[in-house]
Amino acid sequence: METEIDKTLDCKGLSCPMPMMKLAKTMKGMKSGEVLEMLGTDPGTKSDIPSWCEKSGNTLLEQNDLEGGVNRFVLQKK
Amino acid sequence: MAEESNTNKGILSKLFQTFFAKHWPVWVGGIILGLLNVFLFMIKSPWGGSGGYNNWGENVYQAMGFLGLQNVTPTNTSLYGMLNILIILGAFAGALLSKEFALRIPPVGELIKGFIGGGLMAIGATLGIGCTIGGFFSGIPALSGGAIFLTIGLFLGTLVALKYLFWEMEKFPGFSTGKSRTFLAASEKTGGWQIWLGWIVIIIVFVMAYNYFGNENAVMSWFIIIGLIMGLICQRSRFCIVASFRDPFMTGKSSSTVGVITGLIIGLIGFTVIKIFGIGAGETALRAREMTWVFPHFWLRAPIGGFIFGLGMTVAGGCAVGALWRFGEGQVKLWAAVLGFLLISPISKKFIVPGFVDLLPHNLRYKNFMPDYIGYTWSVVIVLAILFLWYVFV
Repeated sequence: METEIDKTLDCKGLSCPMPMMKLAKTMKGMKSGEVLEMLGTDPGTKSDIPSWCEKSGNTLLEQNDLEGGVNRFVLQKK
Repeated sequence: MAEESNTNKGILSKLFQTFFAKHWPVWVGGIILGLLNVFLFMIKSPWGGSGGYNNWGENVYQAMGFLGLQNVTPTNTSLYGMLNILIILGAFAGALLSKEFALRIPPVGELIKGFIGGGLMAIGATLGIGCTIGGFFSGIPALSGGAIFLTIGLFLGTLVALKYLFWEMEKFPGFSTGKSRTFLAASEKTGGWQIWLGWIVIIIVFVMAYNYFGNENAVMSWFIIIGLIMGLICQRSRFCIVASFRDPFMTGKSSSTVGVITGLIIGLIGFTVIKIFGIGAGETALRAREMTWVFPHFWLRAPIGGFIFGLGMTVAGGCAVGALWRFGEGQVKLWAAVLGFLLISPISKKFIVPGFVDLLPHNLRYKNFMPDYIGYTWSVVIVLAILFLWYVFV
């Protein structure tokens, strides 16, 4: 089953802390229940995003690796 | 027989998975880096970052005939110059073994921020004497009074730069968006070459260390091996001093802070024992051993430099060592930061520092070794209390 995605945030090529800052900002502007897809290449986000979700109460629906070293995260706003 | 070797292989590959499939908790990195730092002090002197950059920069300028530099220590005989190279190689090996290596080229705006951040770090480190490693991660355990003021500066610089980054993202989002590229990345099924190359890098480094051992330079051999381990550990645990200052204010995440505090406590215990008993003093005077990594920057010189350094490391997204290990895992923004750091450092030392020092009266830039004033016990208690408060805060 594919999750319906409301918005995609491209953070490819960016280094810490830019991906997390952009993610937090984008999520702020979304409505509760909406789903964000985030693409990034910073290895740090692989552990930063799960712990950020825990802290902020948002849900991490999916996390997988795409071709070309891109990490994909699907988050649902609290 | 065949079955046995199969299970053996299973255990080895499980062990490998433990180390290289996931990131390590930052506090594990903090403990090991703290121990390695104590070991460096035992055999020579504590960990430092900015001196190595300056050595690289001076070598570059000497080779080009700029700044009139002469008799610069060649990097292959400079302990800290080599340590920095090995941290890059260690992080490179760590990233390869976990298939996390890739050349990640960011938008141009980010490259410019990397270079400027690196340049600010160079100016901060030369003005304040010391960076996040020499002045903070080693300076605090060295019971240097100036280190506490340097830390305050680093902290304020980080907060101001974080404000700037939010402002930039709001007003000029174009700066951090645009064309980016990623090369050489591995995926679950491809990129097995990364693991092979990782082992090759490690073997080459051991051969390098062995060669120095033959040259009666055993200390350098240790610096090479320790640099490799430090780089690898930083990469695997994502040990980041910028994050330790910044994240509690940005994402509310505290793991980096806890990792750094752990490393500081271990360093504090080890350094204090070394200083009290004069371990490893050899022919140098006990007093000199005690004053190791206590710099003449108490009290105003340190926070001014620290503030500028804090701005730089936050804009660059990595401090002196954070830039090195991210360089090793292929984050090209930090290549720009490393370049900015090494190119600006000798210039700042030659043209900015002398004038700055003239401005400050001597009582704003002297060596303050806390135990001289309040004894070892109280110095350690005060540092622990500060670390404890920081821990409670995050």
